[in-house]
Amino acid sequence: MSTSSSSLTAYRQRLGINRLGLWLFFLSDAFVFGAFLFTRFYLLDGKRPHLEQSLGLVVTSVLLISSFFMNRAEAQMSKGDRKGFLTSTVITMLLGIAFLVGVVGFEWRLAPFGPADGPEGAVFYMMTGMHAFHVFSGVVFLFIILRNGIKGRYTPERHWAVEAAANYWHFVDVVWIFYYPALYLIGVV
Amino acid sequence: MKHLTVAGVLVLISTILVYLLLSNIGLLPVNASVEAQPIDRLFNLHYWAIAFLFSLIVVFIAYSLIVFRRRNGEDGDGQFFKGNDRLEITWTIIPLGFVIFLSYLGSVTLAETRKAEPQPLEIKVTAGQWFWRFEYPEYGIVSDKMMMPVNKQALLKLTSLDVIHSFWVPEFRVKQDLLPGENLVKELRVTPNLTGEYKVRCAELCGTSHAYMESPVIVVSQADFDAWVQEELNLLGADPSARGEKWARNNGCTSCHSIDGSVSVGPTWKGLYELEQQLADGSMVTVDGAYLHNAIVNPNAQVAAGFPANVMPQNFKDTISEQQITDMIEYIKTLK
Amino acid sequence: MKTFFSYGLVKGLIGQVIGSLVGAGLLTGIRALMGLGWKAEPAYVLGAAFGVIGYMIGIGGFRDWFSWARGEETPDVEDIQEKPGLRRYLGYSLDHKVIGIQYGFLSLFLLSVGGTFALIFRTELAQTGMQIVSLDFFNTLIGMHGMVLIVSILMGIAAISNYAVPLLIGARDMAFPRLNAFAFWLAVPASLVLVSAIFTGGFDTGWTGYPPLSLRAPLGMQMFFVAIFFAGWSSILGALNLIVTILKMRAPGMNLLRMPIFAWAVLATSLIALTATQLIGTSFQMVSFERLFGMGFFDATRGGNPILFQYLFWFYSHPAVYIFVLPGLGVISELLPVFVRKPLFGYKWVAMSSLGIALVGFLVFAHHMFTSGMEEYLRVPFMYSTLLVAVPTGIKFFSWTATIWQGRIRFPAPMLFVLGGIVVFLLGGLTGPPLGTVATDLHLHDTYYVVGHFHDTMFGGYIFPLFAAIYFWFPKITGRRMNETLGKLHFWLMTPSFLVMSLGQMAVGMQGMRRRIADYDPAQGFETAHLIITIAGFLIALSVIVFFVNLIISARRGAEAPGNVWESRSPEWAILPSPAPMHNYEKPFRVVGEPYDYGLKGSTYVEIAPQSTGD
Ligand code: HEA
Ligand code: HEA
Ligand code: HEC
Ligand code: CUA
Ligand SMILES: [Cu+2]
Repeated sequence: MSTSSSSLTAYRQRLGINRLGLWLFFLSDAFVFGAFLFTRFYLLDGKRPHLEQSLGLVVTSVLLISSFFMNRAEAQMSKGDRKGFLTSTVITMLLGIAFLVGVVGFEWRLAPFGPADGPEGAVFYMMTGMHAFHVFSGVVFLFIILRNGIKGRYTPERHWAVEAAANYWHFVDVVWIFYYPALYLIGVV
Repeated sequence: MKHLTVAGVLVLISTILVYLLLSNIGLLPVNASVEAQPIDRLFNLHYWAIAFLFSLIVVFIAYSLIVFRRRNGEDGDGQFFKGNDRLEITWTIIPLGFVIFLSYLGSVTLAETRKAEPQPLEIKVTAGQWFWRFEYPEYGIVSDKMMMPVNKQALLKLTSLDVIHSFWVPEFRVKQDLLPGENLVKELRVTPNLTGEYKVRCAELCGTSHAYMESPVIVVSQADFDAWVQEELNLLGADPSARGEKWARNNGCTSCHSIDGSVSVGPTWKGLYELEQQLADGSMVTVDGAYLHNAIVNPNAQVAAGFPANVMPQNFKDTISEQQITDMIEYIKTLK
Repeated sequence: MKTFFSYGLVKGLIGQVIGSLVGAGLLTGIRALMGLGWKAEPAYVLGAAFGVIGYMIGIGGFRDWFSWARGEETPDVEDIQEKPGLRRYLGYSLDHKVIGIQYGFLSLFLLSVGGTFALIFRTELAQTGMQIVSLDFFNTLIGMHGMVLIVSILMGIAAISNYAVPLLIGARDMAFPRLNAFAFWLAVPASLVLVSAIFTGGFDTGWTGYPPLSLRAPLGMQMFFVAIFFAGWSSILGALNLIVTILKMRAPGMNLLRMPIFAWAVLATSLIALTATQLIGTSFQMVSFERLFGMGFFDATRGGNPILFQYLFWFYSHPAVYIFVLPGLGVISELLPVFVRKPLFGYKWVAMSSLGIALVGFLVFAHHMFTSGMEEYLRVPFMYSTLLVAVPTGIKFFSWTATIWQGRIRFPAPMLFVLGGIVVFLLGGLTGPPLGTVATDLHLHDTYYVVGHFHDTMFGGYIFPLFAAIYFWFPKITGRRMNETLGKLHFWLMTPSFLVMSLGQMAVGMQGMRRRIADYDPAQGFETAHLIITIAGFLIALSVIVFFVNLIISARRGAEAPGNVWESRSPEWAILPSPAPMHNYEKPFRVVGEPYDYGLKGSTYVEIAPQSTGD
């Protein structure tokens, strides 16, 4: 991570270590999401909770688009386009917040069941809750890189933090690509 | 080569000794069911496997330790050899073959324990904290002990009222957990082949009195079984409080409620009727028939002071008939 | 007084108390705003969780990371020189050797606590009837005994791995030193929360915490869940760090097949710990949420299914048993060649068998559920996979036997424990297949036979190798040797008592002794056997006390041992002085041979690189 390693070779070597660490973390975290996915299929089988389809489609699109901007932000950073990087990061953050509002603010209210109402409720709130927690922490990371980006801490050669936050964002996005169909599409109401 | 031969002979001797030891110290309780026969045969094979593999490794190691130890004043290193792939492959393939064979035997044995006879005696076994209840739907009998005719397969339908319990009679060898939930009724087939008194011992930790969750299992001849059925049926005609006493035993009430005034998990029933009872919320009530009824079908509604809520099963209104509840209330009224 | 409060440990504790109060207060405040009254359970849960975080803030675990988040830089770990002395061990040190020893102390402490619980309930079991504890407290004790000792094992393997791995592979420290310290200190408040379960009502579910029983258990259950959740994260982060260290920080020339065999074992272990551990945290979290919010995962009356929990739980807890033993087996493989003066037989095979066990270990978890009422068609496939584990395990045993064969064998204390470990683990392993073939497991499940089986595997695969490792690396840590006589006394007291205990457990188990019962039917005739088991248990405790005495005496007055006491080829002995200096190797070394070529004239494993080429 960001220690004051002097030479660029040392920084690169460090980068390899950090990348491996980050990917191992994703691997580990994937098991949590996997466990909930398994729970969903074990308990609900061919049923799915009754949810607001259009809202689901909207939040999913929002999250996918945010990943596009995340990717752009990182690419702009490596090219040294600091302005572009800042703009894209802000957009990503806003889209992330929009996703949270959509899921936690609306879907949780619209759902015809609460967390205590049978396995549907349990599975739905657990899966979306855990995922929303990850999106939220992703927004926090984005905020951190945004602040440091404004201060000009990153250079095209040295921006591991940006890369890490971006990869985390994509990871959480990929999780949703599995969760969305599991909750909204597969099975009958 | 000499070393190898000596050690090999020692392995054989040791295998036989260990096997004799294992099979002669009475490791298993008496074997009292048809299902137990193949299981005990499989145990016997395991004894052989354990005896051989244990000897194989321990004898070779012990032999080396004694023969190749570094003696006083000796220095230097052992023979230099780093490995032998052919040997490694051998001791991968042979155990692989053996475990596949063992698994095959395991599945054959499992199938044998599950063989279904055409007309088994059905017994509904219900477990709760901390009692067993046995129902014979064919005869309409409910009992707190399990009577089984010898040499007739019993088909147990197992379910639980609260947490997970496990049905195990060591002499029958087989075991099955009982799960709460109507859609999770499990089955187990047992064919006792030796008359005698055994006990079903709950094998899954189920809370405070798990250790004492044991009930008699009595295997008798068909004639004795029929006599018992008749006797139970006769009892049903008697006066309500006598029936109530039986229901209270069969439904496990007495595992938590005493009738002699001593405090147990729940309040004693002695002198309960017409008592000025204090409730957990501080109010006072006079115990009457309606209160008792409510206390049984909906225990959390009025909790007796000094006792925990949520302990008494909540679903008696589904599992016990109204008639039985009325009988039990009559019974409680007689306990002055 | 001022210095007292400057110890990291103390600051952490203060943080934990404050955090707990804040957590509980926050919840109660929110409830009050919503017009609800005091409710103990959520307040305790949030309090415990905030307490753990408070501890980490108090000890300074977040300090550097917060600095990074603010865009500030922190010094490179390699440039930090910590002052030597006791202080380092009581605070947030970043040196992997210090952290290893901290882990070791925590592990031994928990071993004593958990062992003492066992002694209490063993005393109760020495006779039929209830004499010294209540039924509920007995149930709490067995669960605490199980879980405290399992956490102790996790700490113990982290201790050995943290201390030894960077030394063995020639790294200057772990890949992420801050994360390393964080992982260790996370386990401290977690252990405190775990032990606090005893004072908050206990829990009567055993270490497995099966619902629906755990849904009804007292408040202590929640403390248990919170504790294991954080202890699990400690284990995950530690594993992540070890994998990266092993894959990325090896000395030049050390390709994977020239790595010390212990590193292979740690790599395999860490892969399991990294992934599977999530499942225990998750499954406990789900029970916890079901209690707090009424979510219907496991309770059939709410539409859930209790079997689901067992799948999730054992998906971790079976692989976990291989987490417990693989490092221990690695220690055995690592030390054997040194004491028999011969190469490790079939290095490649032994290395791969660790990975094999780890891999197959993921596929067998349902063998704990043969009688549970899970989908019946799954029983046979899980039987095949279960027995399959015997194959890679067998490779290890046969290779060890071949290593010992025609060696030139010495018997100092570490070697005795290695040999004891092999025999005891063999017994434990061989008693596994009768549990694995479903039909016999129908009889054996939830009996003392299982108890005997796992004490054998855990002692053979962990406790014995742990002691071997301590006797072996103690001179590297302190520059002094441990007392041989006391070491031998420890061994000869512990081994026979242990065998009596575990064989006795298996025998009564087959005859019909159920596990987790506070009292047993006198008609079954187990009293004598139980009395003997209890006595054996106390003798084991006595031998452990002998070990503690030895540890203390030798650390102060042991014979000095600055050099290569065991004539090992391994770099930490061949190159480093004892005690090992901070940041390990002054100059990087190069691997020029095979690690275990004992008896090959003129070969060495490592040499100091003539000129550091720099970067
Ligand atoms: C600590 C480590 C550990 C280890 C290494 C093992 C190893 C094994 N275990 Fe064990 N086990 C536990 C710890 C461990 N176990 C615990 C803690 C429990 C109880 C949990 C609880 O309920 O609380 C348990 C429970 C348990 C059960 C569930 C019992 C029940 O509750 O009904 C089963 C069932 O299959 C089982 C099987 C095995 C098998 C087949 C192995 C195999 O890996 C063993 C392989 C080794 C050998 C076989 C010996 C050497 C091999 C050879 C010499 C080669 C040739 C051998 C053959 C061809 C057979 N174990
Ligand atoms: C590493 C793991 C480990 C270790 C070392 C032990 C050690 C011991 N275990 Fe246990 N055991 C488990 C792991 C372990 N156990 C697990 C996981 C369970 C399952 C729990 C469950 O079912 O949920 C279990 C269950 C279990 C049972 C079954 C309980 C039941 O089902 O009813 C029994 C019964 O005999 C038992 C006995 C013992 C004994 C006598 C020891 C002895 O070896 C203990 C020896 C004592 C010590 C090691 C302490 C020595 C130290 C001191 C006395 C203090 C001195 C202090 C200073 C000097 C500071 N254990
Ligand atoms: C698992 C233990 C348990 C079992 C089994 C059990 N009870 Fe109870 N019972 C309790 C407890 C604890 C209380 C006190 C708390 C309460 O009032 O809910 C109680 C209270 C009662 C009361 C009210 C007593 C009073 O003083 O107000 C009655 C009546 C009663 N039970 C009847 C029964 C009957 C009839 C059965 C069997 C069909 C039964 N119980 C089975 C534990 C049990
Ligand atoms: Cu019922 Cu144990
Ligand atoms: Cu297992």
